[in-house]
Amino acid sequence: MKTRMGAMLRTQNTTLAVVIVIGTIILTIQSDGRFLSPISIQTFFQFLAIPIIIGLAQMATLAVGQMNLAVGAIGGFAACSAAILIADVGLPGWLGGIIAIVIGAVAGLLNGLIVVLTQINGFVVTLATMTILAGAQYAIVGTRTITAASWPELQAIGAARPLGIPLIFWIAIAIAILLALGYRHMLVARKMLASGGNPLAAKLSGISNNGSLVAAHTLSGLLCGIAAFLVLASLPGANKSIGGDWLLASFAAPIIGGVSLVGGTVAVLGTVLAATVIRLVDSARAAFQLDPSWVNLVIGAVVLGTVALDRVRTQRRTAPARRRPPAPPAPAPTPAALTRTIDEGAGA
Amino acid sequence: MSRSDRIGGILSDNRTGLIALIVVIVVLIGALKPMFYSPQFVINPMLTSIAIFTVVGLSQMVVLSVGQMNLAVGGMAAVGAMVAGIAFQDGDAPLLLGLALGLVAGGAVGMLCGVIIAYGGVNSFVVTLAMSFALLGLVPTIYAWVSPGSAITVPTPGLSELGRWQLSDLCIGDTCGPDGIPLLIFVTLIAMLVIWFLFAKLRVGRETLLTGSNDRAALLSAIPVPRRVVTVHTLSGLLAALAGFMLGASTGSFTPAIGQEFMLQSFLGPILGGTLLAGGYVSVFGTFLGITLTVIIRQGLLLFGVGIEGLNILLGSILLIALSADRIRHVVGQRARLRAVRRADTTIDEAVAA
Repeated sequence: MKTRMGAMLRTQNTTLAVVIVIGTIILTIQSDGRFLSPISIQTFFQFLAIPIIIGLAQMATLAVGQMNLAVGAIGGFAACSAAILIADVGLPGWLGGIIAIVIGAVAGLLNGLIVVLTQINGFVVTLATMTILAGAQYAIVGTRTITAASWPELQAIGAARPLGIPLIFWIAIAIAILLALGYRHMLVARKMLASGGNPLAAKLSGISNNGSLVAAHTLSGLLCGIAAFLVLASLPGANKSIGGDWLLASFAAPIIGGVSLVGGTVAVLGTVLAATVIRLVDSARAAFQLDPSWVNLVIGAVVLGTVALDRVRTQRRTAPARRRPPAPPAPAPTPAALTRTIDEGAGA
Repeated sequence: MSRSDRIGGILSDNRTGLIALIVVIVVLIGALKPMFYSPQFVINPMLTSIAIFTVVGLSQMVVLSVGQMNLAVGGMAAVGAMVAGIAFQDGDAPLLLGLALGLVAGGAVGMLCGVIIAYGGVNSFVVTLAMSFALLGLVPTIYAWVSPGSAITVPTPGLSELGRWQLSDLCIGDTCGPDGIPLLIFVTLIAMLVIWFLFAKLRVGRETLLTGSNDRAALLSAIPVPRRVVTVHTLSGLLAALAGFMLGASTGSFTPAIGQEFMLQSFLGPILGGTLLAGGYVSVFGTFLGITLTVIIRQGLLLFGVGIEGLNILLGSILLIALSADRIRHVVGQRARLRAVRRADTTIDEAVAA
């Protein structure tokens, strides 16, 4: 129990929590306490909900060792299609919200199917689907902005403030808790993690890696759809720029939160905390009236540093384990072994 | 190799298919829109785009040769253009010095990525993705710092000539070059030649390709695999910087927006041209053809009044189709290799039996 406490203190989450506390103190002092005023806190959490969800969406694909570059495009496309359906076709607002979520899930499913069918790295596939969806988003809304007045039901969700904190933030937290429980207890989620951690071992244990890939991409798309739902609920309207700046945030939160980029791990709490840190950086940027590109610079540098440091840490941890006895003399290359090497080469 | 084999080889080579496709599309668009042949309004901008994007494609291709990827091509291009721009603006550097500084800066960023990948053992996606994020923030910050309008426009002698002149501006006596061919295309041709020479003739290039097709075998054959990984990433950064510089020269100003639309193109060119994502095979000329095809399609659709959104949908679809083709090629190639191994196995067995 004692070692567990010690391990907990040393984890990334503790570091992130300390950073959040220090950052809040600095911002509070800098703003003479105005940072902790109810309105300021409401704004803070209002704009934290979506980053949390898109960070989790990226985490879902990272867990199987994939990436989803189309996070912003799926979210933007889903939000804009739903907005058009409500405003122009006349669907009720609640149905539009559900449709946004469904579109996201379907787009994710398609990503997963393409990845599995072509066996091409998910990065390139989602690069292609990102381009297609971003084009489609622009094609359907063009330069117009569909104002939120068309969907008052959804706006009511965005305006609700139970306990003085926006409802959409509670929704984001509830989804994070569901995901954390799911990754711990649900079979399909454990299978995804197994596939991400070691595809060969997963295959030999009777797990379908292809199934895991499709499930992970679908989950990622579903979360993008939920992010689109939150966009409709909380923003004053939908236009072509929605989702355009999600990419960096979606990667930064899980990476800083401690999700391994080679797959096999998730860190729901870490992702939520990291998204909060990023939101603090953004608040600080506004408080010190710096150019928005400073946020990207800081976050990009932190991500790069985390990636490099993470590697050093894992190497140190696994260094003793590397001293294995010398492998037995290799047999003549069989076709199966050769295929495996080629596949590994393709996966690298 | 018999003659029919060679003809079959040429026919099955996807470069032949690309050339045929390009010719068909050019004829088709030209027949429907005679405007397509206008040197000033279509051919010149099109060739300028081809020149720039081919260099971008080469930048991605050299990294693909070892089976890795560079997601920071856009960022590295922006850095190259920015350093060159600053050298021109604040250092009054002559054209070639500024260009060289830009290339060195891009190469240095690439080298940094390569070192982290090769010696840190981190996946190339992750490193270059993180690098692209860092550059996404760094480049606009530095621009805002050195220049009030966040763009650098300089009257350096030779810069606008290099970027905007066409062959028709070059005259010896009374004979001038043909209209519509930008000078930039020759920069690209030189870059293509150098890269082709590197991969086809030099030891470094062969070692790189071997690293890409099987890095373990390469390591066992005493090839310095980590050093080759650093080499290709440095080269990739250098080429990206060249592309950024060319874009800056052709538009007349160096801005943080340079490189923003490079990523998709950088993959389209090499993949359409037959370069394997898995590494071990590159095609310089194929990359050029792949870029040419996409630029022609783009320009043609623009003539027909298709908007940017339609173009994006189309380019994304082309990438997906090309990827599926790449996969099919890969599987076929694998089968061929397997057959070869089986044949070798039986020969060994026979030798042992005898």
